Amino acid sequence: MRERAQAWLPAAWAAVLALVLLGPALAPGFVLTYDMVWVPDLAVRPDVWGLGSGLPRAVPSDAVVALLDELVPGALLQKLVLVGFLVAGGAGIARLVPGPPTERRAVRLVAVSAYVWTPFVAERLLLGAWPVLVAHALLPWLVLLGRRWRVTGRAPAALLVLVPLGCLSASAGLATAVVLLAAVAGPRRPTLRAVALLVAANAPWLVTGLLHAADATSDRAGAEAFALQGHGTLPTPLEALALGGTWNSEVVLPSRDGILAWVGLVLLAALLLAVRGWWAATSRREALTLVVPWAFGLSLALLTWVAPGAVAWLAATVPGGGLVRDGARSLVLCAPLVAVLAAHAAARVAARVVEEGPRLVLAGALALVPVMLMPDATFGLASRLEAVDYPASYAVARKAAAGVPGDALVLPLSSYRQPRWNGGRKVLDPLPRWLTSDVVASDRLVVGTTVLQGEDPRVSAAADALAESTPEARAAALADLGFGVVVVELDAGEAPEVAGRVLLDGDLRVLALDRPDVREVPAGWAVAAVVAWSAYAAGPALALVLVVRRRRSDQRR
Amino acid sequence: MGSIVAAFGSLVIGGVVATTTIVGVVQSQTAAPDKSPVSVNSTVDDLVAYGSD
Repeated sequence: MRERAQAWLPAAWAAVLALVLLGPALAPGFVLTYDMVWVPDLAVRPDVWGLGSGLPRAVPSDAVVALLDELVPGALLQKLVLVGFLVAGGAGIARLVPGPPTERRAVRLVAVSAYVWTPFVAERLLLGAWPVLVAHALLPWLVLLGRRWRVTGRAPAALLVLVPLGCLSASAGLATAVVLLAAVAGPRRPTLRAVALLVAANAPWLVTGLLHAADATSDRAGAEAFALQGHGTLPTPLEALALGGTWNSEVVLPSRDGILAWVGLVLLAALLLAVRGWWAATSRREALTLVVPWAFGLSLALLTWVAPGAVAWLAATVPGGGLVRDGARSLVLCAPLVAVLAAHAAARVAARVVEEGPRLVLAGALALVPVMLMPDATFGLASRLEAVDYPASYAVARKAAAGVPGDALVLPLSSYRQPRWNGGRKVLDPLPRWLTSDVVASDRLVVGTTVLQGEDPRVSAAADALAESTPEARAAALADLGFGVVVVELDAGEAPEVAGRVLLDGDLRVLALDRPDVREVPAGWAVAAVVAWSAYAAGPALALVLVVRRRRSDQRR
Repeated sequence: MGSIVAAFGSLVIGGVVATTTIVGVVQSQTAAPDKSPVSVNSTVDDLVAYGSD
C-alpha cells in the first residue's frame, strides 16, 4: 500500500505545481489568453473539420473540443486540460528516471519540477498554445511506450489514443512524430507501423491543409517576427538552452530578465557536467531517444534565429512551410532531455550526503529550484491568467444568428481583442467560436509595428466588399460572397456600416443579409475530410474495442 | 567529518532555496505588473497587436 502511494508521489507533486502555477485560472469561468479561446459549447460546424475557407489552424483541436464539450461543459473541459497536461507531463517524466517507480522518489520530483516549471511551459501557457502543451505532456509517455513497442515488437494499445491526442495541431503533431519515431526506430515492422499511426493521427490537418494548398503559404515577414528571440538578459542561444526565447516579449516573465536567469544558466551549465555520467549510465539506444529530439528541436529553433531569410523563403514558397517559423515552439522537443538530466544531476549531488534527513532536505530543495528561478510563474503567472465570464450578449448573439442561412462575418475585421471584461488581456476574438455557422474573421496579425497578411482569400474578398461606397452595396457584395450574417462588435473598434435586418442590437449587433449565395463545401473536399477524420478516429475507436474485449474476457474468467 | 560537512551544506542549500523561493514568490505577487501583457497597447491603426518582438 505504501509503495503504491509512493508511486503516485510524482503525480501528486505535479498536481501541487499545477495548482500553484494556475491559481486563479482554476476559478469558475474561462481562461482567455492570446490563442486560447474556449467557449461553453463550440458548435460542430464545417470549419472545425477543416472545411472552412481559411487554413485549418485549429484542426483537429477544435473538432475534438466541439465533440467533447457535448459531454463536459466547455469551462470544466478547459480546466481538465490545463491541470491534466501538467500532471500527466510530470507523472510521465518521473517515469523516465531509471529504476522502479517506488525508488529514487526525491530525484523523480526534481524531474517533475524541471519539466513542469519551465519558461517554455509558462510562455506557451500565456500564448494559449494548449495543443502544444498537451503534446509536451505526452512526450515522456511516447518515449516509454515507444521503447516498449521497439523492445517487445507489440504496439501498446495506449498509443492508439495518446498519439491522436498528441497531434491536436500541426506543430504538436510534428513534435509527437519526432519523439515517437526516435523511440521506436529500429526493427522495421514497428517503425513502419508507427509511421502509419502518425500519418493517421495527423491526417486531419495534413489532408485539409492540402485542400487549402493554394493559400497555404505565409507572409515572409512572419519568419522574422516569430523567430527565436532572447528578450531577457541571456543571449538568444543560451535562452533556447534554458527552454525560453519566445518571439513575443509580452509573455516573457520578469524573472527571465534578471539575476535569476543567470543563476538558472549556471545551474544549466552544471547539468552539462552530468551529461557524461548520464551518457555512461544509459544505454546508447535509450540515450538517443532523448538526444535526437533535443538536437532536432534546438536546431530548428536556432535556424529561425540564424537564418530567418531561409525560413521566410520556406514559409512563402512551400505550402505549410510556415509551420516551423515559431522558433521557440520547437523547444518542446528539448524538454524531456533537460528534465532527465536535471534528475540525474540531482541524484549525483544527493548521493554525496549519507544521512537520510539532510539528503531529503537537499533533494527537496533541488525539486524547488525551478520554482525559485521563476517565482513569478506562481498563482496564474502572477495573475496574468485568470478565469472570466463572458458577457451575456455573446450567448444572445449566438442565439440570434443561429439558423440564418449563409456564413457569418465578424467585424471589425481584425483578429485580436483586448476586452475590458477579460481584464484587458489580449485574446484571439472569441466571438467566432460562439457562432453556430461557419465564420470568417480577420487572420491578419500585428506583431509590434509589422502587419502580417493572412491567408484566407475570403477575408480579403470581404474587405473588398466592405470598401463599397454604401451600406446597401456592402451588404449585397457580402451576400454574393456567401455571408448571411454580419456580427459587429461595437466595443472593438470602427467597422464600416452594413445594411441588413437587425436581429440584435447592443454591444454586439447581429445583422441578417438578404439572399446570401450560400457557399457549399465541394464534394471532393467532403470525401477527403471524411477519409482523414476516419483515419484519425480509427486509433481511439480500436482502443475502445480492445478495452471492451478485455473487460468481457475478464468477466468470463 | 566529510559527512558532517555534506549534511551541513545540504541544510544550508535547502534553507537558501526555500527562503529565496518564498521571497521571490511574495515579491512577484506584490510587484506592480509593469510588464504585463495588458499594459501593451496597439501600435498599428488601432489594431490589437498579437504581440511585440
